[in-house]
Amino acid sequence: MNITYSILGVLGTLVVAFIVSLLLPGIERKFIHARIQQRVGPPITSPGIMAPIKFFFKQTISPNSPMPRLYNALPIVSLIIVLVLLILLIPQMYFLGALASVIAIIGFLKVEEIMYMFMGSLSKSVLSVRMPFPDLARGAKHPETTRTFLEELSTLRAFRLIAFGSFPVYIAIFVSVAVTGSLYLTDIVAYQQANGPILFTVAGALGAVVFFIGYMILLNEYPFAILKTKADVIEGPYLEYAAKYRSYVYLTRGFLMFVLASLFATLFLGIAPNILNPNFIITLIVALLFPVLMAVMSAFSPIFTYKQFYPTVAGVSILGVLAIVAAFL
Amino acid sequence: MEDNKKNRTVIEAEVPMGTVHPAALEPYRVRLFVEDEIVRDAEITVGLNHRGIERIMEGLPVEKANSLTEKICGICSNSHIWNSCLVGEKAIGIEVPERAQYIRIIMEELERLHSHFLYLAHGSEVLGHETFAMRLFYIRETVMDLLGMIGGNRVQYGVSILGGVRPRCELDENRIQQIKTGMDLIEEKATDFAARFVADPLVMSRITGVGVISQKDALRLAATGPTLRATGVAKDLRTEMKEYEPFDFNVITQEGGDVKSQLLMRVMEIPESINIIRQAIRDLPDGPITNRSWEMQDAPLTKSYIEVPRGTLYHSYALEDGRVRHCVIRTPSMANIGAMQHACIGHHITDAQLSIVQCDPCFTCTDRAIQIIKI
Amino acid sequence: MSLKSYSRGRAIHVMLVYTGGCNGCDIEIVNCIYSPKFDAEQYKVFLTWNPREADVLVVTGPVTKHTEQPLREIYEAIPEPKAVVAAGACALMGGVYKNCHGDIPSEEIAGPVDKIIPVDAKVPGCAVRPQDIVAGLVSALPLLLNAD
Repeated sequence: MNITYSILGVLGTLVVAFIVSLLLPGIERKFIHARIQQRVGPPITSPGIMAPIKFFFKQTISPNSPMPRLYNALPIVSLIIVLVLLILLIPQMYFLGALASVIAIIGFLKVEEIMYMFMGSLSKSVLSVRMPFPDLARGAKHPETTRTFLEELSTLRAFRLIAFGSFPVYIAIFVSVAVTGSLYLTDIVAYQQANGPILFTVAGALGAVVFFIGYMILLNEYPFAILKTKADVIEGPYLEYAAKYRSYVYLTRGFLMFVLASLFATLFLGIAPNILNPNFIITLIVALLFPVLMAVMSAFSPIFTYKQFYPTVAGVSILGVLAIVAAFL
Repeated sequence: MEDNKKNRTVIEAEVPMGTVHPAALEPYRVRLFVEDEIVRDAEITVGLNHRGIERIMEGLPVEKANSLTEKICGICSNSHIWNSCLVGEKAIGIEVPERAQYIRIIMEELERLHSHFLYLAHGSEVLGHETFAMRLFYIRETVMDLLGMIGGNRVQYGVSILGGVRPRCELDENRIQQIKTGMDLIEEKATDFAARFVADPLVMSRITGVGVISQKDALRLAATGPTLRATGVAKDLRTEMKEYEPFDFNVITQEGGDVKSQLLMRVMEIPESINIIRQAIRDLPDGPITNRSWEMQDAPLTKSYIEVPRGTLYHSYALEDGRVRHCVIRTPSMANIGAMQHACIGHHITDAQLSIVQCDPCFTCTDRAIQIIKI
Repeated sequence: MSLKSYSRGRAIHVMLVYTGGCNGCDIEIVNCIYSPKFDAEQYKVFLTWNPREADVLVVTGPVTKHTEQPLREIYEAIPEPKAVVAAGACALMGGVYKNCHGDIPSEEIAGPVDKIIPVDAKVPGCAVRPQDIVAGLVSALPLLLNAD
């Protein structure tokens, strides 16, 4: 009886999370971007629900890639990783012990980032080197140089982002560890049930700001979208995805927005996503608030190059370290 | 080879950005030679847009040839047809009535407005700032409506003809009033936008110090127009054109030669154009707008230079039996290509794209057949 | 109405290809999508720059020699079902570049668009008006909705 109750809780949470995440891109596009840009904008269901469904009904082509089946499998792996992340946050799964800890979450987020590197190195689109043009005519400059694809530039950038771009999220996650004194999600949630949410302490407030910036970097949202700037790499690692694999890319993005927001709710407010708990409404509110704030910030900023990216990440990381220090005072 | 001489820089790879690309409004080909995402050398190939305009114009009747020059470019269309009519009028010796000259100048300044707004919008888009791009396109719509009202079509209006201006483009009270309200509206929105643009720290940090062209390099590479004036050289052909004599305007220059100077250059030229249009409306003389009392003659090769939104435009042709012979056209974007190629060296690839766009390229104007003579 | 045709009508991705015209039509199409006055997104039309994501290909310009092969390859790269809209007088019949010669005919144009790829909707004008482009896109929709 107890087991079926738990399983229903887990499944129900997953289903509700998925449905809400389908609406998030539409809300971002219609209510925020379109209002700021003084135009009408698409209906809410179009970018998030109707676009993936439409892509399911398109012809499956073989992508231009040295390993097409591996390339096509990568978005499915991404979706599964985000699903596993959400499952680990649900309280009924905390019996998993070390898998339901901060270390496992950081590990899965790392794998999510590495996906971009694999996708970029396997994609060879017609819009880059394969565009037919008689470049190597007589009098051309440097005719013997190797030619790289635009997606390989994206791979280099993804590598840099893995090296330093994920600092803010990880430091913010460790702020909650520093305040509550434990790596396990059960202890973090229990501490906040007893002593109130961390968000209302100095360390927690600073950590929340750092988490928000890290959230934007992880989702490659403007201004941190150097991985897929339209002006040079067009779409980056996703260039060769078509039909149902593109649907998976779309679905993963909305789902990741929701899951990271519920990670924030778990770590900084002490409310784990659980449909059987009436506090689930707060998780939903946080999941709607974060994309809205992110959309407002992204509508008013250009894309950063490394000249602005490095100082921003450095500054935000220092803020995060200050937050950890404040937790011990 | 050359790489041994410049032993400091090593070229690792080449990134070709091709015929079809989101940052390219027209097809052109850029090959960037990079070392760890920093551009060390660049090569811009034009010629993808070549349609053989000079070849088509050989032997056309001169009125038809004038209308055809408008189709060279959709952004600076009025400039081409005005210059072509000036060549014909100079060759045959036609006197253009004053009212027609004022109307032609109003159209040219309106075109300068729409071209500068388009440049700023495209620059914002390459920066990644969609919101600014949309705001600028919205302001630009007012100018397009005014152009459509005077000429009949939003793009390619065909206002000038040999001897004056088409009868449809007569400015009566109603149209003058609409131009006045339009100018007030644009001035208010443009100053508001400029204040917001300059005060935005994220955009300013992205464009300061990027794509620098020094004054010496700009003069050596024969840049022209606002690209040259943004490096500090005060050369504007409008001060020497006799059509612009009755008007008062300032020649804007900026120091620095980077993307910020280029953008601010166009932003500051907008109030000057609005000023000229207001002066023209206020002082509009009465009289006819077309001079039909002239006779076709044969003429040797005649040249004409005018100042268009992007620089100095050159047209020339000879007349034989009412038909055009030996037409040669040189647009300002062709002269700016050297500066474009030089500006993107030394920057990150995303900034290199911005450096190419900063010189306001119009590759459809550029593709003529040229003969390079080594001096 | 099945889920297939309903979803195809509620999210349409458009790709633009400029093949060497005078740029007037290109600016008007960009106006149609980026200008808040016309705003094609309210009609569920999204702009994309990737042929793998596109449903409708909008082509402007008479196809010059160097852009013929890229146009063909981009058309091949779009997955079915797809539609092609040729916008502007140059894309429909070569415009002035192919039809208005003096003594020497031009050899630079590889022909209007329908000599190279099959065209489904034709939008006339020089330059084409933004309102007409949206009408042209909508007229090409039934082909997408009813295809299998």
